[in-house]
Amino acid sequence: MKMNNFKMQSKNLHLHYGENHVLKGINLGVRPNEITALIGPSGCGKSTFLKTLNRMNDLIDNVKIEGEVYFDDINIYDSKVDVYLLRKRVGMVFQKPNPFPMSIYDNICYGPKLHGVVKSKFDEIVEKSLKGAALWEETKDRLKKSALSLSGGQQQRLCIARALAINPEVLLMDEPTSALDPISTIKIEDLMSDLRKKYTVVIVTHNMQQAARISDRTAFFLMGDMVEFDETEKIFSMPKDKKTEDYITGRFG
Amino acid sequence: MNKKFRLFDFFLKSLIWISGIFIFTVLISIIFFVFYKGLPSISWNFLITAPSELDGTIGILPMIINTVYIIVITLVISTPIGIFSAIYLNEYAGKNKLVKIIEFTTETLAGIPSIIYGLFGFAFFVVGLKLGYSILSGALTLTIMILPTIIRTVQEALKTVPNMYREGALGLGATKLHIIRTILVPSSIPGILTAIILSIGRIVGESAALIFTAGLGYSLPSGFFEHVKSTGATLTVQLYQYAIRGESLEIPFAIASILVIIVLIVNIATKVIAKSFNKER
Ligand SMILES: Nc1ncnc2c1ncn2[C@@H]1O[C@H](COP(=O)(O)OP(=O)(O)OP(=O)(O)O)[C@@H](O)[C@H]1O
Ligand SMILES: [Mg+2]
Repeated sequence: MKMNNFKMQSKNLHLHYGENHVLKGINLGVRPNEITALIGPSGCGKSTFLKTLNRMNDLIDNVKIEGEVYFDDINIYDSKVDVYLLRKRVGMVFQKPNPFPMSIYDNICYGPKLHGVVKSKFDEIVEKSLKGAALWEETKDRLKKSALSLSGGQQQRLCIARALAINPEVLLMDEPTSALDPISTIKIEDLMSDLRKKYTVVIVTHNMQQAARISDRTAFFLMGDMVEFDETEKIFSMPKDKKTEDYITGRFG
Repeated sequence: MNKKFRLFDFFLKSLIWISGIFIFTVLISIIFFVFYKGLPSISWNFLITAPSELDGTIGILPMIINTVYIIVITLVISTPIGIFSAIYLNEYAGKNKLVKIIEFTTETLAGIPSIIYGLFGFAFFVVGLKLGYSILSGALTLTIMILPTIIRTVQEALKTVPNMYREGALGLGATKLHIIRTILVPSSIPGILTAIILSIGRIVGESAALIFTAGLGYSLPSGFFEHVKSTGATLTVQLYQYAIRGESLEIPFAIASILVIIVLIVNIATKVIAKSFNKER
């Protein structure tokens, strides 16, 4: 019983860090089973916006958030919302791979354990999640080894697997490939087109080609405003706004 | 320029080596000297009897027992309080003025001479709370004395846990408490162990804070729990008493050898434990 066909939607969303007005009334709808890319120059508020979608900004001192963010038809900033359950349903992958200092197996099970999944399911979840993140073949013989012994690209795929292990509905990814080499990047990009079948993905990226290759829709942010939001093809072939055109053709930023 | 730099580099390296060798030599000489003077007087009888005019024995068994009692009681009280305080200060309190004041106070407390803790412990525990000269008064006094060290060491360990672990766990829907239990505390176990060794070192070496609180008792325990309420000197306090009598230095050195052995064992054991923890991760 959805009000509209958005999986997540921000309505007139403003965010201040102290005096700094970082998001200036963002209206953006994320459609289910699509990849939505957020692009824009450094400091324009992409990460900040992404974090408002699972309330990871709540923890920062001095933050003030106005407006609404809907997940299906729940306003996630409503005081009745269980933030921890929200974060289970809206998972996150960070810019720098951040596996926990424990085994590969325990990394994947961290979320399921937390949310009360029975132990007997763990083996199955580990295999499924690692396969989902295209990491199973490389790690199936060393699941008990420390996750920190993996390469950067493998660590990032492990973090994706860890996020998948709790079956989120939406996956937020903040420049997930910026710390990786081209081969690992391609692996993760390939993965994304699979992810779209089961999840809704919002990804921040500085890489125009990446946005063009993998995303269905692209939003262009500039200094806290969302300048343009459209199908990726349209944004990259015939942007409506001059500023968007300048940015994607590399004339600034 | 380059040549000058290399000369300077060589000079620095030599300096580091010389200081290293110097410290090592001093340490080995002290240990060797203490053992040389002390080990010959250590006999089985010395280890398993109490000092007694009647039997003509001068053993140190009661002091070994007292030392163990005081170490265990002090650590049992101070380690949990220290860990909880450090977690509170680091993870919950934020950066307000009160926390700054608490941090400043802990730092100052860590530098206060131990005799002052002894006087306070005497006034508060021995007289005020009517605990008398007892192992319990001594242990409570030492608890206050070592708490700042434990808090600071654990806090340092918590500070080295990268923030991205906290973020990662929050992103999976973990509560703060869950993150503390599953990530922060396990990652700071080496720091917690360091805090424990430092504390054992201070407890074993302490005399001033104990003379007025745990007293000078040297009888064997009459019961496992009763002993907590009776007076008892630790090895170091006993060493101090023998040494100021100035009759002979044989017994003080014998006790000193035992103290050195205890400290070495504690250090090595903690290193081994810390290593096995690190291997697991
Ligand atoms: N925790 C914070 N506290 C205060 N200000 C912050 C905080 N995080 C970000 N900001 C500020 O908010 C603005 C937007 O930051 P944000 O991280 O969202 O940018 P971004 O678009 O993700 O940039 P980049 O591409 O460099 O990652 C910046 O001016 C930044 O200085
Ligand atoms: Mg960012």
